Amino acid sequence: MTADGNAPHADKGTPHEIVRELFSRFGESPFVLQNTVDRVPTLWVDQSRLGEVLRYLKNTISRPFKMLYDLTAVDERLRKNRFGLPAADFTVVYQLLSIERNADIRLKVALTGDYPSLPSIVGIYQNANWYEREVWDLFGITFNGHPNLQRIMLPRTWQGHPLRKEYPARATEFDPFALTVAKQDMEQEALRFNPEEWGMKRGTAEEDFMFLNLGPNHPSAHGAFRLVLQLDGEEIVDCVPDIGYHHRGAEKMGERQSWHTFIPYTDRIDYLGGVMNNLPYILAVEKLAGIEVPDRVKTIRIMLCEFFRITSHLLYYGTYCQDVGAMSPVFFMFVDRQKAYDVIEAITGFRMHPAWFRIGGVAHDLPQGWDRLVRDFVEYLPKRLDEYQKAALENSILKMRSRGVAKYNTADALEWGVTGPGLRATGSDFDLRKARPYSGYENFDFEVPTATGGDVYDRCVVRVEEMRQSIRIIKQCLENMPAGPYKADHPLTCPPPKERTLQDIETLITHFLGVSWGPVMPAGESSQMIEATKGINSYHLISDGSTMSYRTHIRTPSFAHLQQIPSVIKGAMIPDLIAYIASIDFVMADVDR
Amino acid sequence: MEYTLTRIDTDGPRYPQEQREPVRDPMEDQMHRSIFLGKLEDMLKGTVNWGRKNSIWPYNFGLSCCYVEMATAFTPTHDLARFGSEVIRASPRQADVIVIAGTCFQKMAPVVQRLYEQMLEPKWVISMGSCANSGGMYDIYSVVQGVDKFLPVDVYIPGCPPRPEAFLQGLMLLQDAIGKERRPLSWVIGDQGVYKANMPSQRDKHREERMAVTKLRTPDSV
Repeated sequence: MTADGNAPHADKGTPHEIVRELFSRFGESPFVLQNTVDRVPTLWVDQSRLGEVLRYLKNTISRPFKMLYDLTAVDERLRKNRFGLPAADFTVVYQLLSIERNADIRLKVALTGDYPSLPSIVGIYQNANWYEREVWDLFGITFNGHPNLQRIMLPRTWQGHPLRKEYPARATEFDPFALTVAKQDMEQEALRFNPEEWGMKRGTAEEDFMFLNLGPNHPSAHGAFRLVLQLDGEEIVDCVPDIGYHHRGAEKMGERQSWHTFIPYTDRIDYLGGVMNNLPYILAVEKLAGIEVPDRVKTIRIMLCEFFRITSHLLYYGTYCQDVGAMSPVFFMFVDRQKAYDVIEAITGFRMHPAWFRIGGVAHDLPQGWDRLVRDFVEYLPKRLDEYQKAALENSILKMRSRGVAKYNTADALEWGVTGPGLRATGSDFDLRKARPYSGYENFDFEVPTATGGDVYDRCVVRVEEMRQSIRIIKQCLENMPAGPYKADHPLTCPPPKERTLQDIETLITHFLGVSWGPVMPAGESSQMIEATKGINSYHLISDGSTMSYRTHIRTPSFAHLQQIPSVIKGAMIPDLIAYIASIDFVMADVDR
Repeated sequence: MEYTLTRIDTDGPRYPQEQREPVRDPMEDQMHRSIFLGKLEDMLKGTVNWGRKNSIWPYNFGLSCCYVEMATAFTPTHDLARFGSEVIRASPRQADVIVIAGTCFQKMAPVVQRLYEQMLEPKWVISMGSCANSGGMYDIYSVVQGVDKFLPVDVYIPGCPPRPEAFLQGLMLLQDAIGKERRPLSWVIGDQGVYKANMPSQRDKHREERMAVTKLRTPDSV
């Protein structure tokens, strides 16, 4: 059976290869096929068959789906435009990724009832653990058989599940926050770590383990991140990462802001990525709207994204060196970041969070003289990178400190949902800019740097090489910047091109509605993945034909990367952990959203 | 000059545990009483304040985006060392100022409070960025709408995030305020309250000058 989950203009084409394979294995009856704007094969399946289907996709099928890319839920209770989808109060969405096929599949499970439950899939995909905890925390959906279904984003003392539609979004809808002495004591008590809860022993017959709290504020934790270490001397027996100290409710925010006014919130997800965060959101919205942007827009977007890849990687480079013990490189790299910010600021008017991309274009055309600034920068940076190569990367102390530390291979990476440089340091060359070019990356000449060691050092080497490739891309943007408009000529472009505004009463009204209420996006489901600074970042949007999103889900790479920590670091020393954390390259806003 | 007297109230039911009242500059009374002793104390306090304000060591504490801009202020282009504040301390016990750089979450608030309690007097709080000032653009269930809901903030730096230069200005404003403080010289000498001068609002101070600007640079060229 096929349900049309989308507005009529959605592509209905032939079913994907993977759908045919599933139909031939299980028959068509357990599935409902949904058409989506993003053309990701989407199948609804009953929860009783879910485990079987997932096991088949992961283990039995040829060219298997080894990675659980994402797991989330949707509160369907208020959704109006369902176009014949199976009846559901809540939906749990599983998205799998196969590198060998370079393809995705999305499975959806319909649930009924106010607080429904379904079987956990931690036994099939290990990294479902945190995702299921998150869904429980934010939706109140129970996963039977989960090893430790605890709150993950919100404090343990929290009441309610915020992403449910009946839960208020604003803090100002609640009583004003006050920290009383009693509350402080209660919260501190709730933060106390209880090893038994995590299946840990307090000691062996011979010795007691020491439990060390690293964070939530620690100079090497790169933000509000807590790790509880179970130590035997200085050796890490096990550890439990504790996140949620940076949960800004960005997904709930998406249901409150108009399509246009949500853009600034995307900047602050991976706050080192700047406008790179706008890109997946904007591209997903443009798919919903059916907007095709001019070449100039694509090229401007790519150029700025690569600038932010450089600033993010430079910060990584500096803090990485610092965390493994080299104090001075970070000072040089921050000076380079300033140079990059000078260019970014001249073009966009802001440093870290320009929120400069628009639905159907960019906010402003490139200013006169931009090419000189960009040229100066691309000529300046490679020489500096060469110096750092000698001073930092080829430094024998740094090498000895970081080679062979915190190693994992490609199979482990896929098992834990690791993407980006962390995956490419294990030998895989999966880079979305090459594998699934978006926004015009197919027109650029660049290489995908890889390494084979999969250790702390190689993760840094890959990023350094990526900066050189980014410079190559920026140079090509500089030399081949297409002429033309910086906004698409489309009714849903927001804000509309100037010549479509203030001409007569019709254009005046359309413009007024567009900027006050925001554009109305056709109902449907859309998503876009991009190769962000830290790995694969994607937005999954559900429009219910309104001025706001019905559900905005943000898949961030850092969330997956932190979940992997215990599996990599068991048996290592504490300083190795610090080096490992430095090599992951995460920011907490990218973890907790 | 108007001052605010702050006394710690350990029995207070909620944070910050303190009582505040508006007062006159305490030095004025004493100077009237005895010219010699008044001058001496004035000089002594001036010297101590001069030392304090030029070596404000910040605690290595960051929550989100603003911390990146704060860290940028430590690096050569902005060079915080010029103001004596480059010595980042990893332990709250050695720090003089905590900069709340980023969003304060309800999950994080008890942790921030614990860290603040561990700092030794004299200590100051800078609230950096819109989130810490008021919640900013995050009027959302998980965010505390301004860190001053539980911490006594000395300086607010606006911006999302503020530029490193804004952080430097905030620090200089804090230095000015510290220069006018009246703190007990010892735990056995004199009044044990903390007298802080009510500093003028920067918005009021610069309003006329800002309103006078009529020509803005065009964004069409660099």
